[in-house]
Amino acid sequence: MIAAYLSNIILRSTLVLVIGVLLCSVPSGRTWAIGAVILNSDDDSLSVIDTASYRETSRTYIGRSPHHLMPTPDGKTLILAMAAGNELVFIDRATGNVRERLPASDPYQIGFSPDGKWFVATSLRLDRVDIYDGSNYQLKYRLPAPSMPSHMGFSPDSRSVYISLQGTGQLIAIDLASGKPLWTVPVGRQPAGVFVRPSGTILVANMGSDHIAEVSPQDGSILQRIRTGRGAHNFLLSPDGKTLYVSNRVAGTISLLDPATLAVTGTFVAPGGPDDMAISANGQELWVTGRWRASVNVIDRSTGAVKTTIPVGRSPHGIFVY
Amino acid sequence: MFVIDALMRLIDQLQGAVFENAVQPLLYQIGLMDWSEELFDACGFALFGALEIMLAYLLFRPLELWRPVESWQDRRAVRTDVVYTLVRRIGIVPAIIFLLLTPIGATIDGYLRFKGYIPPKLEEFLPVLLAWPFVTFLLYVVLLDLAEYWRHRLQHRVFWWWALHSLHHDQRQMTLWSDDRNHVLDDVLASIWTGTIALLIGVAPAEFPLVLIAFRLIESLSHTNARLGLGRIGNSLIVGPQYHRLHHSIEHADPPFDRSRGCNFAVIFPIWDVIFRTRRRDDAYPATGVASLTGPAIRAGYLRHQLEGFRRLGAELGRLAGRRSGFAAAFPQE
Repeated sequence: MIAAYLSNIILRSTLVLVIGVLLCSVPSGRTWAIGAVILNSDDDSLSVIDTASYRETSRTYIGRSPHHLMPTPDGKTLILAMAAGNELVFIDRATGNVRERLPASDPYQIGFSPDGKWFVATSLRLDRVDIYDGSNYQLKYRLPAPSMPSHMGFSPDSRSVYISLQGTGQLIAIDLASGKPLWTVPVGRQPAGVFVRPSGTILVANMGSDHIAEVSPQDGSILQRIRTGRGAHNFLLSPDGKTLYVSNRVAGTISLLDPATLAVTGTFVAPGGPDDMAISANGQELWVTGRWRASVNVIDRSTGAVKTTIPVGRSPHGIFVY
Repeated sequence: MFVIDALMRLIDQLQGAVFENAVQPLLYQIGLMDWSEELFDACGFALFGALEIMLAYLLFRPLELWRPVESWQDRRAVRTDVVYTLVRRIGIVPAIIFLLLTPIGATIDGYLRFKGYIPPKLEEFLPVLLAWPFVTFLLYVVLLDLAEYWRHRLQHRVFWWWALHSLHHDQRQMTLWSDDRNHVLDDVLASIWTGTIALLIGVAPAEFPLVLIAFRLIESLSHTNARLGLGRIGNSLIVGPQYHRLHHSIEHADPPFDRSRGCNFAVIFPIWDVIFRTRRRDDAYPATGVASLTGPAIRAGYLRHQLEGFRRLGAELGRLAGRRSGFAAAFPQE
């Protein structure tokens, strides 16, 4: 009798717990403040951070596997690439409202050619590159790019796109007008970030090693290798053009390079798997997503000290700071 | 809400710490950094699996101790199910299946993209869902549960599939650990099944991992060795121990598979049994197992039990090819 009574209580508590978990997980309403925007790729959400108070003001469901984001050439819209969601989400920068959702095929990294004529999306999972007309997002070319096409950079004349192939350790150059590969060359272990210098030479961050490689745009030959840190991953040029930052994912650091000479001038500590980077509007802070620690690190650019670490959603990847 | 957030934060930090300090350095050393995102997710899978196991044990083991349907002196068969639970929920078996099936899945998916087919999402059929991610998530859970119901029906109906699924049913000491007692080939089939559905309706939002744990707990609860009916209302909401025990009843899972005798196939939501007329209303707590399957193999350890699955499948395929009698007849009797 007592056993029956107790077990009933246990059972009811279990049900209450289950229902409680269900109810508590209902997300709060959509809010938006102008600040920093972070894409949390493992929980399908977009975090907005107030850049003055360093607090996350909202975390909203946005679509399956949001990885990277960038503004449109006119600067009015943010484009978010949803890999598993198979869509591009267009957000009005002024209001924060979703303006449009366009079907796309597994977009992972996205980029516009400097003249805005071409829009390129890579599919890391399906070994494919999609080239769109940058004015209307109509698909022009879809080509196989084995394996794991990841980051991209464009030639200054907007004629070519360079894409790192993480799975095969190569860099591929594609002619945008024809959608045909120009050359494919080995660059190092698991290449990730790609950055094209004003001179036209290409920098590739080799994530499986501790250096970046400089590659000739003509034939893909390696011009030099520069040691940064273990797990060299991504690039960011400061708006004043004076510093080139390289995030080193395994080392948990950020290397500072002179963009003209490519000499390493300093190193910041950035724990938690530093990935994408952005500079604050006042130019004083470097914001870095900490991929493995569900957080964003804000670093003082003048001292290199981590000013604050802001908790966000799971696996924060792309970042955009107003 | 605060507790949930704190728990999620703790899991996130644990996942990050394990990955950063143990897994990532190894990937870097052996030149597999292109697998870092997958391995990071695998660390999360293992942690969530561990949490599932912990919660299932803390919540349901007391029930088994207080009101057991059956008590056994020799619990070796239960220990096999513990191994099954560990290798599946911590991610060893899923990792093997992932490595096997991902290239095939990506090839098929990639081919479809070149043909212009992009897997749709439920939100495309019902745009109102875009504002209700939690409802979207629940809808995916319901649809996936419907798919599981039919996979389960086929596991009992298709003879060679039953040869594999009989491993799940031959357990006569059914406990909270028994949910994962499945042949690895059966798990491969389940992954293909789910992967195909993902091509048709896309994947569920990943925003609610803790809710997913709640649903996984229901699957452990349904196998719990406890004298617990959920009552009229409970039994129409979720599958409980008494409800599912009727499905495992020794008299209902006995070859030659009279289809009218199978009942209560639902995995999470009993509604499918009502809709497809396979619901059995009965207050009994029958013994579990498959009557014709006896002997040491059903009490064997993990590896021997897996080999037994291959043997049953081989015997059944042999029977289908007209060479031998089926696996049950070939089963070594005690």
